Amino acid sequence: MPRDASDLLHGTLDVLVLKTLSWGAMHGYAIAEWIERRGGGDLVIVDAALYKALHRLEESGAITSEWGLSDNKRRAKYYSLTTRGRARLRSESETWKRYALAVGRIIESS
Amino acid sequence: MHVPSGVRRAFRLPASSGQITRDLEDEVAFHVAMRVQSLERAGLSHDDAIAQAQRKFGDVQDLHDYCVALEVPHMQRAQARERLSSIAQDLRFALRQMRRSPAFALIASLTLALGVGATTAIFSVVNGVVLKPLPFSDPQQLVQLWGIDANGRHLHFADPTFDHLLAENHTLSAAAEYNTGDMSFSTNGTATRVTAAGVSKEFFRVLNVRPELGRSFAPEDQQKGSPMVILISHGLWMRLFGGSESVIGTIIKSGETPITIIGVLPAGKEFPAGTDAWYPREPFGEATSYTAHNWNVIARVKDGVTTEAATRDVSMVLRRLHAAVGDATWTLDGTAIPLRDQIIGSVKVLLLLILGASAVLLLIACANVANLLIARMAVRESEIAVRVAIGAGRGRIAQQLLIETSLLAAVGCLGGMVIAAAGMKMLLVLRPALIPRVGELSLDWRVLVFAVVISAATAVALALVAAWRGTAGDLRAALSQSQRTQGGGGASYRVRGSLVVVQLAMTVVLLIGAGLLARSFVGLMSIDPGFRTHGMVVAGTVFDEPRDTNYIGRRSVYYQQLAERALAIPGVTSVGISDAPPFSNGSSNGEFLVLDNAGIKLAPSALEGMFNDKARTGYATYRTATGGYFKAMGIPVLSGRVFDATDRAGGPEVAVINAALAHKRWPNGDAMGKVIEFGNIDGDLTPMTIVGIVGDTREQDLAADPLPAVYVDFDQRPGNSNEMFVIMAATNEAGAIAAARRAFPQVRADVPMRFLTVEDIIGRSVDSQRFMLLLVGIFGAVALLLATLGVYSVISYLVAQRGREISIRVALGASAPQIVHLVLKQGVTLSLVGAIIGGVAALAATRVLKRLLYQVSPTDPIAFATVLVVLCGVALVASYVPARRAAAFEPMDVLRGG
Repeated sequence: MPRDASDLLHGTLDVLVLKTLSWGAMHGYAIAEWIERRGGGDLVIVDAALYKALHRLEESGAITSEWGLSDNKRRAKYYSLTTRGRARLRSESETWKRYALAVGRIIESS
Repeated sequence: MHVPSGVRRAFRLPASSGQITRDLEDEVAFHVAMRVQSLERAGLSHDDAIAQAQRKFGDVQDLHDYCVALEVPHMQRAQARERLSSIAQDLRFALRQMRRSPAFALIASLTLALGVGATTAIFSVVNGVVLKPLPFSDPQQLVQLWGIDANGRHLHFADPTFDHLLAENHTLSAAAEYNTGDMSFSTNGTATRVTAAGVSKEFFRVLNVRPELGRSFAPEDQQKGSPMVILISHGLWMRLFGGSESVIGTIIKSGETPITIIGVLPAGKEFPAGTDAWYPREPFGEATSYTAHNWNVIARVKDGVTTEAATRDVSMVLRRLHAAVGDATWTLDGTAIPLRDQIIGSVKVLLLLILGASAVLLLIACANVANLLIARMAVRESEIAVRVAIGAGRGRIAQQLLIETSLLAAVGCLGGMVIAAAGMKMLLVLRPALIPRVGELSLDWRVLVFAVVISAATAVALALVAAWRGTAGDLRAALSQSQRTQGGGGASYRVRGSLVVVQLAMTVVLLIGAGLLARSFVGLMSIDPGFRTHGMVVAGTVFDEPRDTNYIGRRSVYYQQLAERALAIPGVTSVGISDAPPFSNGSSNGEFLVLDNAGIKLAPSALEGMFNDKARTGYATYRTATGGYFKAMGIPVLSGRVFDATDRAGGPEVAVINAALAHKRWPNGDAMGKVIEFGNIDGDLTPMTIVGIVGDTREQDLAADPLPAVYVDFDQRPGNSNEMFVIMAATNEAGAIAAARRAFPQVRADVPMRFLTVEDIIGRSVDSQRFMLLLVGIFGAVALLLATLGVYSVISYLVAQRGREISIRVALGASAPQIVHLVLKQGVTLSLVGAIIGGVAALAATRVLKRLLYQVSPTDPIAFATVLVVLCGVALVASYVPARRAAAFEPMDVLRGG
């Protein structure tokens, strides 16, 4: 069964959002779709949590936002990565990879 | 967050929590709509798609709360930062503006400084005198007690009355009698006159004052016949003893009486104000008469007792006493007055009037600066229009203008404080005696807060005016107008004209006030007081000798010698002696008895009954005098004679009365030869025969009717005062004073003297009028100057603005006088409107001066007419200068240059 993203470890969603935005500016819905598609259906995100993460990241300066028009001409808020966000993505990706490896090793070793 | 503020503005980050909510709602709505679209494409019905999208979204309210909690404080911090940086930016801009037009900045700040300074100086006096509490602990508990007689007048206390009150009251925690007078104070052979107070037991307990050095009075000092001890003021200690601690135990002499100094009171705690020394009254014994009204009384009410309750209590006790002893006492009732009210008295009204006048001056100054500002705003209109066009909001423009006016007001405030400090010094030099508690005046925090508050209010008011004018025009109009017409045009002229009218009106009120005071002052000074006022020198002396049987004899010998010395001084033509100075209502006053003949000397017991028979009594002031007194004073003898060498001590006693008494008491004109008895004043019950009637004199108050007066012979009657005055008619006042200062001590060195002129003494009586006249006069003159500047600048502005029109008129053949006439008409219109409004306002305002005016109505037509004429004349001159300039226009220059 698909996993709810609220079960993800704290901070996971933030990294996912940063990673998503590294491909370019996007609005919230696009980000949600992108993560779910890339997660291959294994990650289903509660939308409210995604928006909390977006506002939290904007507040910390990792991303910034701007109102613009969507493909179907509706007013939408576009988020994009800042320099700070890019740096944070790099360092957190590293941490995540090491973490995942460590967890994997422990589980496999039994 | 470290985004530069400019970037934040560009991204239009939320400006309010409402904005945050609205943005979030939009974002969520968009998201849900996209999801619904996608689900419908996948084949769901519209309703199912909505339901699923909403379920998938989760808790919207929780998200909202989360975002608000996250972003509101952030937004506030960002806004505060932005506000601060904009203020700093505006401040730099304002400073640049000031540097660019230093003349405007200087005139505006100076004008404000003048207004703020005058108002602050007066407020500092109001603060020190009226607002500050008395310098005693729990000062609100201190009251002055008074008896009240059958006519409702305040009476001093007699000893038995006071003792009764002390025993019977329920509201006073302590009460004390006191009485001040001059005393001679000899140390090492030099005598000084000091002001000394005899005080009863509880005096310092009432005030709660302890000596800073030495001790206070002890019970053994406060017995009948105790050796004399004295407490001295800090000031006297410094003056006579240089602050040496060895002063304690020093024995000084007052006349022949040795007195031991036992303590020094701290500075600022003197009561009554100006007292140099205090001694216990008890060693001299008490009077037993209920009508010996010799004592002032102060008291401290018990904790939690109001003045009203104390008044009720005192009143009841005294009414009961009257019921018990009957007509033996004249004190029928009593009252308690807060000590502060007693001390401040009528000066409070005077000071508040002056404060009002200074506030009017401040308003005039503000109007002037507002006028200047409007002229500047007209010039800056296009600058401001451009600022609005590139995105500055009205609020931002207003903020910038407020900062500019605040800067002006801040400079004005600083200048005002300097002026206030100088003005306060001038006030103190002018009239220390008029203002009670004058020693307590200072520029304390209250005064500083006052100056800052009125300056801030000024800045805000001016900013409002500037913002109103500055943001009134729209961009296109401002930019399309050429420099020729300089913006605002007719509307601006109307506003500036109205300001000038208001200014002129307020100036009229001040000037009419000054005019009324001046006319009444001239009136007062031209009153004939009934005695000579010029070329008169007075030597005040203190004759402290035991009042034994030889007292009068020793006194006569001494003053006869002084009179001889005085007559030897070149230019001194006549000399008189009295126990009261000129221009005072005698040394005492009260009721005398009319007797059938001079042969009987009544027993004190018989007198009591006779005083109840109104047919046998009369009221008069009492003064001892020598025969020379009338000649020296220039008081004419109307009938009979004055005292001469035939009137000897021990011989038949005689009296002289004035015309007022003769008319009042003996309307049939048969006063001569009548016998009177005035023993309740001086303790001498010997009857006196009236031998002469002299002219009336106006004493103490020039505006009041002459009081009935009895003069008794200096060589026959003891009087009841230790002070004696040598009055000399002298052609050269200063020379006579210098010579007498050398000659008099040769007779006796231990009698202290003080010299002054009758002009000084009379001058003091019109002090409050002169003080008020001077201040209102100064304010009026400054106001007139400011108003003149106002008229000048508005008319100049008008001329500049209508330069084109005027040039065309000239080109079409208008003559120079016609142009002058055209411009003058504007100035005259302004000043007439201002004068009429001001005149009407003055009709209402000058009523408050009524009490200060003498024989001048508050609506005196001469004062009103003079001021209106002066004002219109000045306005005419102020408009004439720009009118001349207009007439000199070369039409081609103006038309081409425009």
